[in-house]
Amino acid sequence: MITGGNGDHARFGDDVAPWLLGALQSDEREAFERHLAACGRCREEVAALRPAVEALPLAAPPVAPPPDLRDRIMRVVESDAQLLEAAGETADRPEAQGRRRPRRRWLGSVSPALAAAACALVVAVGVGGYLIGDSGSEGGGARVVAAKVSFPAARASVRTEGGRASLQLANMPPPPAGRVYQVWLKNDGQMPRPTRALFVVRSGTVAIPGGIADADQVLVTAEPPGGSMLPTSQPVIAANTA
Amino acid sequence: MAFERRKRNHSLESTLQSLADEELMALVAKGQARAFETIYERHGGAAFSLAYRMCGSRSLAEDVAQEAFLSIWRSGGRYDRARGSVRTWVLGIVHNRAIDALRRTVVQERRRASDEGIEERFEARERTEVEAARREEASTIRGMLETLPDEQSRVIELAYFGGFTHSEIAEMLGAPIGTVKGRMRLGLEKLRGQLAPQGVMP
Repeated sequence: MITGGNGDHARFGDDVAPWLLGALQSDEREAFERHLAACGRCREEVAALRPAVEALPLAAPPVAPPPDLRDRIMRVVESDAQLLEAAGETADRPEAQGRRRPRRRWLGSVSPALAAAACALVVAVGVGGYLIGDSGSEGGGARVVAAKVSFPAARASVRTEGGRASLQLANMPPPPAGRVYQVWLKNDGQMPRPTRALFVVRSGTVAIPGGIADADQVLVTAEPPGGSMLPTSQPVIAANTA
Repeated sequence: MAFERRKRNHSLESTLQSLADEELMALVAKGQARAFETIYERHGGAAFSLAYRMCGSRSLAEDVAQEAFLSIWRSGGRYDRARGSVRTWVLGIVHNRAIDALRRTVVQERRRASDEGIEERFEARERTEVEAARREEASTIRGMLETLPDEQSRVIELAYFGGFTHSEIAEMLGAPIGTVKGRMRLGLEKLRGQLAPQGVMP
């Protein structure tokens, strides 16, 4: 296939300007970038022309963004930041450790600090998530664990009895437009596993098909309809069921 | 409520205002929302203007700008000052997002948006010196683009602002792909030559 060596310069040299302008198709772009990594001459040409391309966006006639754009963006940012704050000092740890970024793909592309916050939130459940009731006397052994919920007025708990499990909800806000809540099971040091428990109800009981087995945590995130294989947003409910 | 909050945080905000973009990005990487908001205040206008120029539709431009800024917030740690200014980095992300959005839409629709040319229906009001400066900067760079031979400025605009690939442009103009690529290079070289003496290096 493509060697990406310097000998390819004749073949790729013409792609410097189209690449800088974003005018290559994705397969061409990937081939060019492999070549670029190996070709000093192309890198020099890129460096020489880049300032021209970087000036282009400034030629766009100034248009005022609508004020609610800022509000929409800041709502998401602030809810992320609150999660961070809740996580406290631990949030800074990955920064302090330098550039090595923990692999937390399940949170999507989040900054190390945010990933750490989400992680710490889950850990914090160990403190915040207390056992509400352990009615071991009822032969079946029903167990109810309170969950940490990111909405102040809302309450959630996980109830397990035998092999069955359910999430009990009160006063949950509706999921964001076009989203449903999805329940996840997580074990320490592993990615969350999706369940088929999807819900939009605000109060009531949601069964978790198949129970929660030996999951250490039960999490809830807002996901596109039909659910996701990996969480695409931060958990809004977390219960420590270990 | 937002007003109260702003008032309370007045001194924090004036501290943030005094920080350079690069210093703010270090705070953004740690998840500081107010530092991010300051970055948005400084570059949201240029970002939205670019998105609007590329998309030709206000609602698509809003989606693109929102996606771009949230990805900036969530990947704040990835900014590397060795690779250029924060503004260049932000605008590069907006550009990529807008190209992705444009390539998802039908070519025919895009051609229409791009042929409308520069629409200034939603021009920013010149409330501040910063906006006036931006307006002047935009017209300086547009002026430079206009000094290029038409055939060169056309391929650059179709590629950079229209999000078209070299082969789409070649087809549109009825010119060979090699010619289109050559015009892109010549145009960029000429533009590069004009930038340095004018002191508008980004």
